[in-house]
Amino acid sequence: MFKYLLRRLNLFLATSLVMVGVLFYATGLFPVDRTHALTGIHTPTASQLVQIEQDYKLDKNQAWQFIAYLQQRLSGNLGISVTSHQEVAEELSAVLPASFELAVMAAIIAICFGVPLGVLASQSQHKLTQNTIMAITLTGYSVPVFWLGLYLSLWFGVDLGWLPISGQINLLYEIKPVTGFMLVDTLLSESEYGMSAFKDALLHIILPATTLAVLPFTVVVRSTRSAMMNVMNQTFIRAAEARGMHTSTIILRHALPNALIPVLKHLGLMLGSFASYAIVVEMIFSWPGVGSWLVSGIYQRDYTVIQGGILAVALLIIFLSILIEVLHTVFNPLSRKDLYATS
Amino acid sequence: MSWLLVACGPQRLPSGLVYCSEGNPESFNPQLVTSGTTIDATSHQIYSRLVDYDTQSGKLVPALATSWAMSDDGLSYRFTLRENVQFQHSKRFTPTRPFNADDVLFSFKRIIDTHHPYHFVSRTGYPFFQSIGFSEQVKGIEKINDHEVVFYLTRKDASFLSNLATDFAVILSDEYAQQQLALGHPENVDHFAIGTGPFTLVQYAKNEYIRYHRHPDFWGEPAKIDMLVFDITPKSTVRLAKLIAGDCSVSALPKAGELPVIKQHEELNIESQPGLNVAFWAFNTQKPPLDDVRVRRALAYAVDKQNILRAVYQNTAIEATGVLPPASWAYANNKGLVDYNPQKARDLLKEAGIKNLSIDIWAMPVARAYNPNALKTAELIQSDLANVGVKVNIVSYDWSVFSQRLSRDDYDSVLIGWNADNSDPDNFFTPLLSCAAMQSNNNRSRWCNPEFDAILDSAREVSDQGERKVIYQQAEAFLAEQVPMLSLAHAKRVALTRSDIKDMQLTPFGGISFAHTSQAQEEAN
Repeated sequence: MFKYLLRRLNLFLATSLVMVGVLFYATGLFPVDRTHALTGIHTPTASQLVQIEQDYKLDKNQAWQFIAYLQQRLSGNLGISVTSHQEVAEELSAVLPASFELAVMAAIIAICFGVPLGVLASQSQHKLTQNTIMAITLTGYSVPVFWLGLYLSLWFGVDLGWLPISGQINLLYEIKPVTGFMLVDTLLSESEYGMSAFKDALLHIILPATTLAVLPFTVVVRSTRSAMMNVMNQTFIRAAEARGMHTSTIILRHALPNALIPVLKHLGLMLGSFASYAIVVEMIFSWPGVGSWLVSGIYQRDYTVIQGGILAVALLIIFLSILIEVLHTVFNPLSRKDLYATS
Repeated sequence: MSWLLVACGPQRLPSGLVYCSEGNPESFNPQLVTSGTTIDATSHQIYSRLVDYDTQSGKLVPALATSWAMSDDGLSYRFTLRENVQFQHSKRFTPTRPFNADDVLFSFKRIIDTHHPYHFVSRTGYPFFQSIGFSEQVKGIEKINDHEVVFYLTRKDASFLSNLATDFAVILSDEYAQQQLALGHPENVDHFAIGTGPFTLVQYAKNEYIRYHRHPDFWGEPAKIDMLVFDITPKSTVRLAKLIAGDCSVSALPKAGELPVIKQHEELNIESQPGLNVAFWAFNTQKPPLDDVRVRRALAYAVDKQNILRAVYQNTAIEATGVLPPASWAYANNKGLVDYNPQKARDLLKEAGIKNLSIDIWAMPVARAYNPNALKTAELIQSDLANVGVKVNIVSYDWSVFSQRLSRDDYDSVLIGWNADNSDPDNFFTPLLSCAAMQSNNNRSRWCNPEFDAILDSAREVSDQGERKVIYQQAEAFLAEQVPMLSLAHAKRVALTRSDIKDMQLTPFGGISFAHTSQAQEEAN
């Protein structure tokens, strides 16, 4: 097992290194001075220029430059934003929690609704129920997220006026960031408006989280269903049935834990498209997360922000994919089989 | 789910006002910029000026200066300053003394004195002041005592006081500046602003919001709202959606096409007021073939302004016949100086020997009061010019990039405009088309004509309004002759408010102010 973890760690480091290499190469392609692309300082003074040259070893060859670049980025120096003159790392840490909050809410919605519906679809004897559920999930899977987001905000926000459609909270609430998660911060807030602010933040997150949840939800339903049907045909389930156990006990205790393992794997495979969906959703609902920060950085030709955003998003995806794979191995004895054989 | 339903109970909202603004400010010091977005966010919220314009009558009224007197030769102005005016507090700065003459000296010396330690802290210069030749105009500023200062001018200038009343001529704190200079962070003065205005800047989150609190010791009537938030929302449709959803109470710069939607919602009001502004199409007169006046004139003849008024402004604007709008006292209807005549355009191009002309039009990416949709305007001009055989390529960037690249001078032509800062007609000519304005990159036509500058100078030297009007009409005629730019339209200033907002007054010129705005108390759902 230790060797396996070491190999995954190795994979993580190698992939990240290649990714940083690509980013490093891209800094030379931006249509501005290299010093500007690296640091975000538009017109550096003479002393700043010397400092930049030292930091990034611009007088040495590409290999040294890459190592210097790696050192700078790994030590958290992402340069300053061209438009706001603030540290990119600081801005990034301000927007990351909002994206996490949205993703966590979407994941909760997708799993809480997706798994039971998947089980229901697999167990239902009625062709009609099965087909309806499959039709709904197929529709959800194929609806473009930008269209869905716009229509949800049109219906629930503009026509019905039930839910707010943009931002994280009404800006009149002055919430001090403690954890960065708005829902948690409002609860921690000592202001007399804390509870109202929490409700307001909750109302704000419903539409974006629902929109973002649609895609993983359909994937969860479909993969739960097929995995359940697969598991229910296994001999150990028939043995349990033969012992006269109650169907619900069989499903909850024996079938579902086994069925969820492939679901986990499916979710892991989707991380990349999930991230790009999140960026679109953040743009539609003006959610102040990494996605909208990155996109406005692109519009503003803010090269340091673009690099910082891509670095953060890509690193996260690589890390989470590998984490899910490790979890998958931990929970699934079958996939450890070849491990034992090789080690 | 029941938990969710409980969450829908009555909600309490802190008292305050959210304004959906259209973009990020470039700085928090209006001296350093000319962009309306920055002016809106700073000038009337954080700062005060020596003198102000009364928004209704357009006359000068006392602000930080309680009174002023001009010497007989018109070459010096003595200001008596208001006493016990308190600066704002912030995390960085706690003022130890009230406002005095040193602050006035700091605020203006920074601009005119190139040896001043703060002069080059601004990387963008002082575009408005450079464009009116302020540092040549003001010979010196003298402190008589703590509450009296004298400005010495090099020549008589009828527009001097008007220029001090503009949104750019704000008063900064000398004490704060010295403190930050000692700490080695002079740029903080422009980022974390301290002023004497009705609101204190609390927090700025790029792309998200700017938060202000009421300044409790404001010298004038304190603001009626406790908190002011600028919700930065670049997309016009999103601003409208936020307004309908109640996430903001006032919204900036609606597109003309959205106005019918607003009329369907009873809780929304449209505030509008004829504006002192002009949208124009500036030709880079230093770049061939636009340095040829015949080509410029041909392009001007080829544009159907009525079409633009219909499609872009949806009749919320009037056609521009010159630079000055009808709301200005020096206005005269010059209809017919440059009319729509494609045949004439074709002839002029042939006469100039130009074939297969292809030019770039740079279109602003943001909505401004004078032009809600520059891209659409550019497209209309594109099709008009195609009629006379000129190919047009439309260029646009995000605002900060756009303004940066515009200061390099390699564009062909640009669709932009001007919002007056005061009611003096000079404000339409000197900052836009004088030689001084070319140095500050505010002269988008890059057109410097000594003859034209002489006309403007002579207009500033007389103080009789009738005489000045005649001279400004000469200037208009001169422009129609030379066509450094084509004026398109004068738009109304429009803002959208929810009906619980009271006393939201739009002024014909200058930035938006929330000092007197109040909000009826109500329970949000």
